[in-house]
Order: sequence, then structure tokens, then C-alpha cells
Amino acid sequence: MQSDRSKPVRVVIVGGGTAGWMTAAGLVRLLASADYDLTLIESDEIGTVGVGEATLPHIKTFNDLLGINEAQFMRDTKATFKLGIEFVGWDRPGDRYIHPFGTFGEPWAGVDFQHHWARAMLAGEDVGPLFDHSYACAAAARAAFEFPNEDPRSIRSTYAYAYHFDAGLYANFLRGWATERGVSRIEGKIVDVHRDGNSGHVDRLTLASGATIEGDIFIDCSGFRSLLLGQTMGIAWEDWREWLPCDQAMAMPTTRTEPLIPYTRATAQRGGWTWRIGLQHRTGNGMVFSSAYCSEDEARETLMRAVDGSPLAEPRVLRFGAGRRLKGWEGNVIGIGLAGGFLEPLESTSIFLIQAAVVDLANLMPTRGGIDRRLADEFNRLYQVHYDRTRDFLVLHYCANRREGEPLWDHVRNMRLPDSLAHKIALFEACAAAPDYKYGLFSRDSWLAVLVGQGILPRGYNRLADRLPADDLVARLRDLKGRIRANVDAMTDHAGFIANYCAASTAGASLESAA
Amino acid sequence: MSPPLCRRVVVVGRDAALWLSANVIRAALGPSGVEVSAVELPSLLTDADLYATLPPLEALHNQLRIDEAALLRSVKGVFTLGQNFADAGGARQPFLHAYGAYGTAIDGQDFFAYWLKARGLGLRVGLEDFSLTASAARQGRLLIPNDETEKYGRSDYGYHLPAAAYVRSLRGLAAQDGVAIRAAERIAVLLGDAGVAAIVADGARIEADLFIDATGEGLLIDALGVARESWADTFPGDRILVASAPEFASIPAYAEIRAHERGWTGLYPSLGQTHVVQVTASSLCPDEEALQAAAATGGLPLTGITLRRLDPGMRASAWAGNVVAIGGAVAAFDRLHNIDLLGVQTGLIGLLAFYPAASDFSAERSEYNRLMRSSYERLRDFQALHYRINDYGGSFWARARQGDVSPELAHRIALFQARGEIAPYEDESFAPDSWRAFFVGHGIVPDTYLPAIDRTAPDAMKARFRHMLGFVKEQVLRQPTHDSYLQTMVRRGHG
Repeated sequence: MQSDRSKPVRVVIVGGGTAGWMTAAGLVRLLASADYDLTLIESDEIGTVGVGEATLPHIKTFNDLLGINEAQFMRDTKATFKLGIEFVGWDRPGDRYIHPFGTFGEPWAGVDFQHHWARAMLAGEDVGPLFDHSYACAAAARAAFEFPNEDPRSIRSTYAYAYHFDAGLYANFLRGWATERGVSRIEGKIVDVHRDGNSGHVDRLTLASGATIEGDIFIDCSGFRSLLLGQTMGIAWEDWREWLPCDQAMAMPTTRTEPLIPYTRATAQRGGWTWRIGLQHRTGNGMVFSSAYCSEDEARETLMRAVDGSPLAEPRVLRFGAGRRLKGWEGNVIGIGLAGGFLEPLESTSIFLIQAAVVDLANLMPTRGGIDRRLADEFNRLYQVHYDRTRDFLVLHYCANRREGEPLWDHVRNMRLPDSLAHKIALFEACAAAPDYKYGLFSRDSWLAVLVGQGILPRGYNRLADRLPADDLVARLRDLKGRIRANVDAMTDHAGFIANYCAASTAGASLESAA
Repeated sequence: MSPPLCRRVVVVGRDAALWLSANVIRAALGPSGVEVSAVELPSLLTDADLYATLPPLEALHNQLRIDEAALLRSVKGVFTLGQNFADAGGARQPFLHAYGAYGTAIDGQDFFAYWLKARGLGLRVGLEDFSLTASAARQGRLLIPNDETEKYGRSDYGYHLPAAAYVRSLRGLAAQDGVAIRAAERIAVLLGDAGVAAIVADGARIEADLFIDATGEGLLIDALGVARESWADTFPGDRILVASAPEFASIPAYAEIRAHERGWTGLYPSLGQTHVVQVTASSLCPDEEALQAAAATGGLPLTGITLRRLDPGMRASAWAGNVVAIGGAVAAFDRLHNIDLLGVQTGLIGLLAFYPAASDFSAERSEYNRLMRSSYERLRDFQALHYRINDYGGSFWARARQGDVSPELAHRIALFQARGEIAPYEDESFAPDSWRAFFVGHGIVPDTYLPAIDRTAPDAMKARFRHMLGFVKEQVLRQPTHDSYLQTMVRRGHG
């Protein structure tokens, strides 16, 4: 790396999919233009995977950070709102639950809600499922949408939302946004990567045109190829297929159907699971499956049976494996997106993992003084926290199932779990305590939703809840459900809200990506 | 509602760990049908002993419905806004670890990075001058928070509580709340299948579903064979001196910790006396020299001197069988940052969160042990920082610089040196501002600062700095002095 402090640091982003353009946009927003030159290289010859069309509420923080106008962004990406994910058949065929973006109930007497719910349930009170105490679940079930209320005393403040959007259009949107603000875009295919003989750092890329691009920092957003982090720097892959055996996906868009539901649906199938994501102009569908338990033909048949609109394209097959690289940052190369790790789109985590890496990288970005190993160490520590915690959460969806007699599901039910996950499940069963860590996905309420949704029920609860008199508890639970119902009944329906707020123009259909 | 399995709780121990445990468990779990009794061993406290406390204790007191003014009146306690770390040798400038925020965010980013940048550009104003709490402390004032100051940043405080009086007060509360109390000169521990079957207190056999070991030395947890890990390789001191000195004419709003060649001497004011605590290393400083050093460093006549062994370390598990160790029985801290009662509080809050819910409580126990280990290790790291990065003169401090550090602390030091940021870890008790107060106080200058703050225009940054300094000055001048506040709030009670 150069040590000339008079020149800006040259940051080269390799790859222009969602990861590349989120990185470019995040860095151009967070770093001073006098200090950093940002260049992104992308090739029209190389398709992008277009990771996930569903997101988590954190994306709003990212867009707000960029100062993006929400309605404009939703029009441009043909987006809809998302209040959670519905899981169908994950515990047993036919069962369903929603993992909501929001809290369950309210803390009373200084004790988290689920303990009050568990107390009433264990006392034999007719309290109904945990999910009846979530505002987001109730709104989703009615296909309703409105913005959350900012007054923390209101029950309407107890949820958040994310989006379903066309990831290709989002990358296009960010490309426009970032290039307007000074990110240079170079079209070209990389044919050679040159490393400095002394430091081992990447210092130059050669394009098919013969042009060379020099840089101080290289951000690998090249997708599964992991051109720089994996191929050039040789950072090994940690394979998680032991716990997450799905290794293929088949994606296929269909026409929009009504009602326009404000949540993603993930339906367990014999050899994997299918997704359904309703956008303004079409429905995204796909099947994630394990090649060990399900053939491509079976997957295609399952997917065709699962969709509810008319197909708009042939199914497209993707191959992958769950895992992450041992490090996200080596030398002067940082891998973001699929170049760094992959987790199936079950909980819409791909875009969050990109976002977290971009924010961490902005905070730990090398300055003109050169590469600093200590900053890389911190990036790698945070990267591992993010991936590992997300992995445990995903594995929970699989291991806690009662789909007996289906080989894939029998396998994941009986596999040895990561110790960190086994401990979390045992603790919840014993005393209704859900994981509540400060750093990394997911929140306590998310864990609660999936633990309870997968049929795991607590045997006990935190006895501090007993400070609330028993009669008072029953009355409060009834009152809570009443407030949720009354407020949700007054909400606008999702399709109507979209039509008023951010309807995509039909002319824009020509911009549609080839997802 | 069925009663919980562990209905009968017996707390065995002494002093604050005993009475805080008994009171907290009684108040929190009494409504569930838990019965708490206490077996009280002889106190180890003298009149010179003091509990210097950290901000979280106030919330625990609130839960126990302890009235602050009444407590301070009855125990002759005072407020403290932090600790001033001074070099008796005079080489290093003193610095305050204030219990409040340093500066306020600019454009959504932590103030500290801006201060680093400004200092690099020649700013001469210290970090402390941006802290309401530190500035108030320096001027002998308190900082009573209001909406404006809360918006600026956190302003917390702790107490200096004369220990024997505080323990009497907690004991009175326990008795009043229906905790059955039995005093005992000594106990024997009888083991059973599930851990401790019973204890024998002065001949009387006492059984319980759950025992709390608040004995300090860990008489119950030790009987279960739970190993103890020593932190002697991290902390240089193994000898502690406690003494009493005359009251200051004007009561400072902070404690003063003076580093000298043989260790450190702390002066903690209360009403009626100044409590003196000194930590030295016995292999580097014989007891007579320790006595001389305490008198010389404090510059005050000392009475009621006691010398004790200081042995920081932690049990392999806080909870074994049916015994939960609280306080010194599980983790004994160095004396430097007044962690002792915070350790007790951390243990109790964790126990309330994972109190056995059913007959098989192995999951709760294992989570509690994980949480306590992690929390106590982070507290240990916070203490170790001051020793590791010091540049004071003398053999004690040279040894301190060689002390062991955990990988987490080593990484935190490295990241601060590189960028001025505090690596976030789970189960951390101290805010980044507390960590930074020590790094900055010891003169560590990071190589770089957060690049994102360069987005703020230099003029805007300067204007915000001026505004902050003006705000701090104005707010602090409005605050009551510690003396006048004590006069109206505390001394009034004595007529």
C-alpha cells in the first residue's frame, strides 16, 4: 500500500450486485470524499445472484443513513412492505406461525412479556398463542399496513417493518445514487489480480480490455466466486452444511395475485422449502432444497405446485453451500456479501449481513497511514459474531421439527446441534428465557417467535412475574389483545396503502431486472 | 400458581453481600412464596471500612424501597461523582473517572472521535472539560440531572457508605421484611446428593432448597470442591490497608486515588471521617513501609489501621449443586474501582433472571454460570487496564505493567491504540466513556480516529465544541455544592 499521505486512499470494489452497490453507497456516504477515491468494477457479462428480495427492518436504517426518500425508493424497486415472515409447516405439515418484526406484548412489573404469558399458560388460563399478543402478527394476518406510531406508550409503536423489493432494481437504484455522489464505475471483466511481492497485498487488477486498476483497499463483492478473498488471498471456507444441508435453489417469478400480503411466506416441503414474496408487479417464488434429499425434477414439481400466479419465466437454478470464510478481511482485501459467506434466504439475512459489514468497515476503514492489522482483527471478530449468531437462528427452524418420516427433516431433527444453540433451546424450555445478546442478529422477540413457533414450549418462567397479582395478569392479557384488535381493525389494507404511497409506474416495467 | 421448587432459601454469610442477597431475594421472590432466612457470621468490618459504590446501586436501592436521603443520614454517607487518579510523584496529570458522559454526539457520532481529531489539530481543552459530571466534581458540586443535561449526556453518581452502618441498615430492613435471622459464630457444611444437604450453625442444623454463599471466603462453594482461579498474575497488589483519618473541612464530590512507588492510596470522604484504603504488594513492601506510605501519601493522621490480604480471583462456577455464591465467595476484585458491590449486584440480578423454575434447573444454572463468568471477566479486564497501561514510577507499577491480560483486553487495548474505539463485548458493565477516561488519562493517543467524522465541516465542529463548553460551564455553576446539598439533605436530620 502506498504511504503517500497526500493522496486519497484508493478503494476498489469488485462486483456490482447488491453487495457491491450497497458497499459503494454506504462508503461514499460515510467517508469524506477528500480522503477516499471509490471505484466499482462490474461486468455486464457476469450475472448477479440478486440475493433475496426480502429484507429485515435494519434496511430502513441503512436507507435513512443514505438519506433516501422512501416512497421514491419503493416506486423504483416496485417494493411492498413486510411485517414479518410466515412459516408454514415447519413444525408439522399444516402448522403456521409468523415471525413478526416487533415485540410480543409489553414488559410488566419490569419482567419481559413472555414470562407473563408463560405463567398464565402454565396456570391453565385460556390465554391463546403467544402470537396473539403481537401487533405485527395481527396486522399481517389482516394484510393491513400503516407506519408505526412514534409514541412508545402506544401499542402501535411495537412493530417495525422492512420491504420486499426487486434486488436487481435496488442495485440499479444504488448505482445511480452512488455514482451521482462520486463513485466511479468501470465496466469490465477482471482477468488478472496482481499482488505486491513484499506485503502480499493486492495492488493491481487487469481487465479484459488491458486496462489496469490500482488500489490500496480492495473490497471483494464478486459473489460466490470470491475472486480476491477466496481465490487470491486463499482464505478458507468454513462449511456449515452439517447443520444447513440445503445446497440448491430454484427461482421463478409469477404474476401478482391478490391479496397483496405484507409478509414473506416460507413453506416447508419434503426436500426443502419454498418462498413466496409479493412485489408490486409480480411475485417472487423459489425453492431451496438439499440435493442429497431432493432431485431438481422434484424441486421443480414442488415449486410449480406451490406457486399461485402464472409463471413469468423458466425456473433458474443456483448452487451454494452454507458457511463463511474463516476471515472477512485479510491483508488489504475485505469480502462483503457472498464472497464472505452464505446463509440461505430463510430469514432474509443476506442484505443485513452486507449492511453490517459495510457499517463495520466504514468505522474500521484504513486511513492514509496504511493497512492496520488491529482494525482487521476487529472487523473479523464482528463478522464472525454476525454470521455465527445468524447460523444458530436458522438452524433452529430446521432442528425443531416434527415432520416425521421425511428423510431431510428426520436428518435435521437428529443432527448434533452447535453447542451454542442446544444451550439456548434448553434454557428456553426450562424457564422461558430467550437469547438476549446485544450484538448481532436476532433480537429476543425473534428468537421467541421461532422457538414457540417451532413447538418448543417453556416448562417454567421467571418467577419475578408473580409480583403481578394473578387476576391482574388475566385482565392485562385480555386488555392487550383488545387494544391490538381495535387498532389493527382501523388500519388501511396493504395494497391500498401501497397504491397511495408508492405505486410503481407501469412505464417503469421496462427497467425490470432479469431476476 | 404453584410455589417454585426452591422455596426455602438460606443465605449464609456476612456484611453487605449477606444482607443485599437476603433483601433482594426476599423482595423479588417473596410474592412467589419464597422464604428467605439468613445465617449471620461475625462481621469482618471495622469503623474505618467503607463501601464506595458505583451508579447501578441506586436502582437496586430503589427496588428495595431504600430512601436515599434517609440512608445517607443514617449511615453518614456522601455522594461521589467519580474517582480522581493522581500521581503522587507528580509526573502524570491527574484524571477523573467520572460517572457520566464525556461530551455529546455530533452528527450522530460519538463525541470522542471529534475530540481526538481536534486534539490532533492543537486543541488544548481536556476531555474532562466536556463532561458535566467531571466538571461538577472538580468544582465540589453535584450534578442533579434535568431534561437539558440528560439530552447532553448521562450524569450518574455513586455513594461513599461507611460500611458497618450500611450493613446495620440493610440488616434492619431484612428483619423488618420478615427475613428470619440467626447469628452464628461458625458453620459446618454437610454435603448431600444435590450439593449441600444442610449447614450446621453453632450446633443447629439448617436445611434449604437453595443456599446462597455470601461468606466472602466461599465456605459453601468451597465445600463442594469448586476450584478457584487466582488473578494474582494480573493484579500486582496482595496487601490491603484500611484506616480512618479526620473528616475533610469541605467534602469532595469524588474519591482520590494516589499512585505512589509502593502502590496506591485512596482517600474516600464520608461525614465524620475520611476512609483510607491502600493496596501494596507484600513482596515489594513490608508492612511497616506500607504503614508509612499510607500516612505519607494521605498526609493525614491515621487511626484504626487494619491490614488484610487481598487475593483477587474467581471460582470456576458461581453456582454448583444447590449453592449460589454471591460477592467475594465467587469473585474477589482488586480494590481500585469499587467493584465489590457491583459484583454482588450482578450476581443477584442474574440469579433473579435464572432462578430455578422447575425441578431440573441445570439449564438455568449453566446459563447463570456462563453469564457470571463473562460479566466478571469483563469487570476484571476493566480493572486490569489501569494497571497494564500505567506509566507511574516504582516497582509496584513496573510489576503492574507486566501483568497478564486476557485476549479480550489485549484486543481492546490494540483497537483503542489503532482507532480510539472500544471494542464492544457482551456482558460489559462499563460504558465506553469509562474505558476512554483511563486510556486518555494514561496518555494513550490513538493512531487514527473514526473516518466518518471528517464528513462534519471543521467550522461546524468548532461551533459545537464552543457550545458544549459553554453549556457545561453554565450548568455546573447552577448546581449545588456537595457541602450545601449534604447540609440540607443529610445533616438536617441530625438537627
